Amino acid sequence: MSFISTSRIIQVRNDLELLLILAKRDISVRYKQTFLGIIWAIIKPLVTMSVFLFAFKNVSNIQDLGGYPIQLVIFSGVLFWNFFANTFQFSSNSILTNSNLISKVYFPRIIIPISSISVPFIDFIIGFIIYLILSFSLNYSISLHILYLPVAFFFLLLFSLGLGLIFSSFAIKHRDFLQVIPLIVQYGFFITPIIYTSSEIIGKTWFKYYLFINPLVGLVEFFRFSLIKGYHILSFFDFLISCLISLVVFVLGLFVFKFKEKTFVDYL
Amino acid sequence: MNSIVSVSSISKKYQLPLSKKEASNSFLNNFFTKRKYEEYWAVNDVSFTLNKGDKLGIIGNNGAGKSTLLKILSKITKPTTGKVNIQGKVASLLEVGTGFHPELSGRDNIYLNGAILGMSKKEITQQFDEIVEFAGDQIIKFLDTPVKRYSSGMYVRLGFAISAHLDPEILIVDEVLAVGDADFQKKSLSKMKEVASKEKTILFVSHNLTAVANLCNKTLHLEKGYVKQFGETGEVLNNYLSAMQNNLLLQDFEDVNLSPGNDLVRLKYAKLTPSLIGSQLIADVRSSLKIDIEFWNLLDNQNLNISLHIYASTGECIFNVGTEPKILNKGVVQASLLIPSYFLNDGNYLASFMIVKDKSIVLFNFEEVFNFEIADYREETTWYGKWPGYVRPQFDFPIQQVSQKI
Repeated sequence: MSFISTSRIIQVRNDLELLLILAKRDISVRYKQTFLGIIWAIIKPLVTMSVFLFAFKNVSNIQDLGGYPIQLVIFSGVLFWNFFANTFQFSSNSILTNSNLISKVYFPRIIIPISSISVPFIDFIIGFIIYLILSFSLNYSISLHILYLPVAFFFLLLFSLGLGLIFSSFAIKHRDFLQVIPLIVQYGFFITPIIYTSSEIIGKTWFKYYLFINPLVGLVEFFRFSLIKGYHILSFFDFLISCLISLVVFVLGLFVFKFKEKTFVDYL
Repeated sequence: MNSIVSVSSISKKYQLPLSKKEASNSFLNNFFTKRKYEEYWAVNDVSFTLNKGDKLGIIGNNGAGKSTLLKILSKITKPTTGKVNIQGKVASLLEVGTGFHPELSGRDNIYLNGAILGMSKKEITQQFDEIVEFAGDQIIKFLDTPVKRYSSGMYVRLGFAISAHLDPEILIVDEVLAVGDADFQKKSLSKMKEVASKEKTILFVSHNLTAVANLCNKTLHLEKGYVKQFGETGEVLNNYLSAMQNNLLLQDFEDVNLSPGNDLVRLKYAKLTPSLIGSQLIADVRSSLKIDIEFWNLLDNQNLNISLHIYASTGECIFNVGTEPKILNKGVVQASLLIPSYFLNDGNYLASFMIVKDKSIVLFNFEEVFNFEIADYREETTWYGKWPGYVRPQFDFPIQQVSQKI
């Protein structure tokens, strides 16, 4: 059955337009009534990095992380983590924050969580530019590994959104799930190598299993591998494991969402 | 068959937690005790079909399932059982300005709302000027102002203007006509009629029977989730109106010992009689209301008066009127009151009265003696919104031109 009606094509085009306009709405509302506007997207990761830089260099007297500049390791980690945390949080909350739409108009519900990644994405792009400036100012150029960046980012997106889909689906009936999100975002930051590198934990006996439990470990190292010249702590096989788990989480998220979306309105 | 909408025995079940104690959706409660739910069928075995071009009015009291039915038809929620088959592009207007973002400008919100309602960007751009013009002059000045700064009237006008430019084959509308000022309503209604004159199928929920009678050729009357009647508008409306007569208008007690009251006074008879004109079936704003009260006075030589209260269904007292106090002896006491026509506005009302001794001591308060409804009536109007207020006076209010100079 290869027959696709024109009305179906129009429908898909309208859905895409709705997705874009909702994404645009979130972006244009994000920094409304702020004086600095989008500059906040620059300030926030820089402040986080500076705090840890201060703690490491001046309090703990640590001069580098696994032989790489502290600034680059932390800033790339924070950039990675902020994208994960915001995507996960926004998409998990998206159905509830848009409940006025969901209860009044029909459109494919998946548009809502997908459109919610727009703000984290813009923040990420800005953060990435800051990273490049920081990197060059430390005389640390980027390597050809940068070509892997889209791949690493893609799987990070799949994992974050997949987790968000699962949480948003369950949170509608059981708001307990919303209570868990800040815990994951807050403490996940420390149990994932964000402000340190995997070389600190790679020797532990549990590390092999941990890689399966927390795909963010492999993803953040893959991410740094593509960003920081010469950075190579985990193997490609480890990256592959994390990418596959991310894919599984995303597909699972899609199924859960598809299954649950029929009853969203009844519990809003 | 060219039926464009076919609904076959759809039902929608909601589960309500049984008691307040168990209402907290907590893990512990869930885990240790099997939660008990009360099943509630908001819509029950509803079937009907519409042909292309049909205009369906959906009527019924609050809680009859009208809104749930609209939500099912617009695919917002799934029916528990049954099937809906709709052929063609559907647009549903369950609210004016769905998804308006307060921080965004009027311009941005036109695109946002349009996209949410299913219009393509191209369609919106093509009709943008028309939409703005339809919304009124005021909007043009504020097109680039965030809508949170709009007055509620402007907000609603902009919202309606966008919906009015939708061009679906099937339109599902929930009382959005009742928006804006009289002038704007006139515009909205003529737009609705223009839309209706096209080969468009409309499903329209309304409390306003006059609007239904004017716009719809078919009517569906829902009662407690069931279809009470589905058919030609005139016939359904007539039956609906005669069913509304079963309000509490008469109380008559023959045995003094069984009637409400106490050792001092007991209710004998209370009747509310609306004056009905011509073929009128129920009281409307034109009707005067006559209230007759009889009670047994069980003690001699009492200085008594009756104090009567009329309450709106929301609980506010609309007025209180009393008789003169009078020295009365044991036996039956009678009083009548006439509420003139064009006094109470359309709505649901409750009446209570108390018998007062020496202008200060309440002997007994007869609560909710009458429960009645007054329908709306308008002549030669193009505006069908809810007439505001509890009273509907027709005061002399002359207007004239005194000069042609400016």
